Amino acid sequence: MGSLVQVLTNGILLGSMYGIAAIGLSLIFGTMRIIFIAQGTMIVLFAYLVYWSFQKAGIDPYLSLLTVVPLAFVLGLGLFYLLFRKAAALEDRNVSLLLAVGLMYLIDNLILKAWSATPRGLNISYSSAMIVVWGLRVSWLRLALLGLALASAFVVYAFLKKTRVGTAVRAASEDMEATTIQGINSVWVSAISFAIGIALAGVAGVGMATVYSFDYQFGFVFAIKALVALALGGIGNVFGALAGGLLLGIIENLAAYYVGIAWIEIASYGVFMLVLIFLPQGLFGRRALVKKV
Amino acid sequence: MANQLLEVKELSVAYGDVQALWDVSLEVEEGSIVALVGANGAGKTTLLKSISGLLHPITGHILFEGEDLVHLNTKHRVDKGIVMVPEGRRLFQSLTVLENLRLGAYLPKARADYDDSLERVFALFPVLKDRMNGKAGLMSGGEQQMLAIGRAVMARPRLVMIDEASLGLSPILTRTIFDLIVALNVQGTTVLLVEQNIHMALKICSKAYVMKTGHMVLSGTGGELLANDDVRKAYVGERGSRL
Amino acid sequence: MGGIERIESADVRLVAGTKGLNKRKLIWAGLGVLAVVFFGTLPFYYDVHNGQYGVFFFNVFVYAIVAQGWNLIGGYTGQISLGQNAFFGIGAYTMALLWFNDVTKTGYYFDPVLMIASAVAPAIVAVLVGLPLLSRLRGDYFAFGTLGMGMIVTVLFINGGYFTGGAEGRMLVSKMPPDVVFNLRTHYWVAFLVAVLVTLVVYFLTSSRVGLALKAIREDEVAAASHGVNVLKYKVIAFAVGASTAGVAGSIYGYYLLQVTPSNVLTQNWLFYPILMVVLGGTGTILGPWVGAFLIYLLSWYGDQYFTGYSPILSGVVIILVMLFLPSGIMGLGQKVPDWGKRVRGSG
Repeated sequence: MGSLVQVLTNGILLGSMYGIAAIGLSLIFGTMRIIFIAQGTMIVLFAYLVYWSFQKAGIDPYLSLLTVVPLAFVLGLGLFYLLFRKAAALEDRNVSLLLAVGLMYLIDNLILKAWSATPRGLNISYSSAMIVVWGLRVSWLRLALLGLALASAFVVYAFLKKTRVGTAVRAASEDMEATTIQGINSVWVSAISFAIGIALAGVAGVGMATVYSFDYQFGFVFAIKALVALALGGIGNVFGALAGGLLLGIIENLAAYYVGIAWIEIASYGVFMLVLIFLPQGLFGRRALVKKV
Repeated sequence: MANQLLEVKELSVAYGDVQALWDVSLEVEEGSIVALVGANGAGKTTLLKSISGLLHPITGHILFEGEDLVHLNTKHRVDKGIVMVPEGRRLFQSLTVLENLRLGAYLPKARADYDDSLERVFALFPVLKDRMNGKAGLMSGGEQQMLAIGRAVMARPRLVMIDEASLGLSPILTRTIFDLIVALNVQGTTVLLVEQNIHMALKICSKAYVMKTGHMVLSGTGGELLANDDVRKAYVGERGSRL
Repeated sequence: MGGIERIESADVRLVAGTKGLNKRKLIWAGLGVLAVVFFGTLPFYYDVHNGQYGVFFFNVFVYAIVAQGWNLIGGYTGQISLGQNAFFGIGAYTMALLWFNDVTKTGYYFDPVLMIASAVAPAIVAVLVGLPLLSRLRGDYFAFGTLGMGMIVTVLFINGGYFTGGAEGRMLVSKMPPDVVFNLRTHYWVAFLVAVLVTLVVYFLTSSRVGLALKAIREDEVAAASHGVNVLKYKVIAFAVGASTAGVAGSIYGYYLLQVTPSNVLTQNWLFYPILMVVLGGTGTILGPWVGAFLIYLLSWYGDQYFTGYSPILSGVVIILVMLFLPSGIMGLGQKVPDWGKRVRGSG
């Protein structure tokens, strides 16, 4: 029993990474309907930046949140205006999908050239620090992941609910043309959602650098995991996406514990398929974005 | 000639390779209600979308208070006071009524008058005040149409273009909506009305245009067109019987 | 009624364009026959086994087969499938496992029975996966679902233990019949023949009533359904045919590699490159996949030679540039015959 609780706890803590990534994907998919398959690659890129600034300059990963997240936001704006602005306006979904694929190939292999194929992972002074609560052993760093995820979710939620631009983002994710008709610059609204999505990849990058061992190929699988989390939680709901991530973490850890590590992937993709087929609006989705036939 | 708020001159519009409007011209006098009628696919919605800047013409001009708008985007046209109530209302269903209205007053100029506009909308449509914090998608069809018009009013429009206001509404509700449109007009807002309910539209408008397959074919006062045999046979007979 | 103004209406000139069509069709058919004859007879006057262009064209043909299959579901039907690599892998593994275990007892190299099995197995999977996915949802969720299927198939093959050979896959070199010499000429011809066949199948399928239904589904699913088109049936057919072409390509490629492993038949390359080829060539056109396969493979071929080690970076850049500047594809350019829209625009 004790070990089951431990498994669940680990699942929640690791799943919070999927949660952050899924919130970002949700913003990008929600407004532009772009399947941003490069999200995982962006996270890995930022993880390398965090890793690098720690190795070279000794900057604490959590301190580099202050630089990486704004950098990611600006990079997101740049990528949007350079690559996705025109594609987002096209009816043809292949174009934006392939743009994301191209970006993924490009950045994955730039990472390979810059940092080689050796998997990296940070070893900070407090990497192994643990707290023990009611017999549960929890690493501080993993606990911090959950903190990052919750903080991200609250910030994004407040942005969407309380700000004018946030309201416009929600409007645009429902009906882009009607948003334009209100005199709202829908290109800018898309740019903001895209940039926030990439900024969240920056947050997730910090988390990845501190807890995971990562390499240049890690991004694709991670992006699909985020997509699974998003499908589980449901699109159009920040906390739903977060919950989807946590749930995916739990499912993976349960699968590893009861069936074996080799079957983690089958469990998560199996759940993905089942959710898509039987529960397309997800567990907490406000609405099904895809109409039934 | 009286003071024309909007003048569309020889406008041609194409969707890719398919042309939808051929040299369409239209004038809307300040303070009037102008109706635009015609069968499905005649190009009415295309014309409205071109006036609001969602579509860009190949040739032709759109003058608003004498200024050519062709090169301005939607945002700037809304800022100048041209606001569209799109066909099918296109409300933000999952947002609250108040959020929808707030988005209507998104631009700085409109935002400055937010409180006044809100009061005006609630005076025109008291039901919206009661439903203020409810989701727009949960309201009835008539209430949704009111919200759609209210959302446009929030932008402090000089010209409101309403596309198919009566679509899907009962005859009684249609009448209510038309009364509200007249009330809005009496308050000083110019209205360009696209309607399938031609009988009603021709009754309240001061001038009307008839479109057919991308061309402007007839124009005149509402009364004249109502009396016109071609118009009656083509449109009013079949649709008007529902009234 | 003196007030009524009758507005002069321009006469609508319909540019039909049917007149030149048959002639143009004939020219294309002629060029097609010429190309088939040229590439079909190439091994008689060019050593495809030792000359480098043999491998080159073999790869182009294999990619063209996969791309043509994706074109049917993604291009003509408008359903983005992200599971093409899974079907390619299933085809390759079907061939490899049947051959490895001598199931057919024929010992043939390029055994037609195995190749047919390689086409049938992915089609069965496509129907099993496609029915639930396509009956309930459309649009992006189909893309997600096929992506998930691809991941599951990959993991299943990796975790397959002795049956699939795990991460090492299956070595087939020892299975070569002793009297057969490995000569690329065979691969070249088989790949070419299958590529032409697949192209013809897609062509005739799309010019038939089926094609009409597929295009109707792509343009407006609800309208298609309301006109009595059995949307689900046609989507599943397109998905299954697309899957089986990928499967055949997988088996041909397996015969070339003589080693089928997850890392060489189930990679992202077999997923994204065919899509890129179709989009570059022209989505929903019969020649688009060929043009795209040729150009993209050409680029990666020379990329590997002149920018060794930087080829994937180059691929990324190429994908981005193509999508930015040629989103409607090369065949799309050709179809925008300039006098069509413009003459109409100026008239009146």
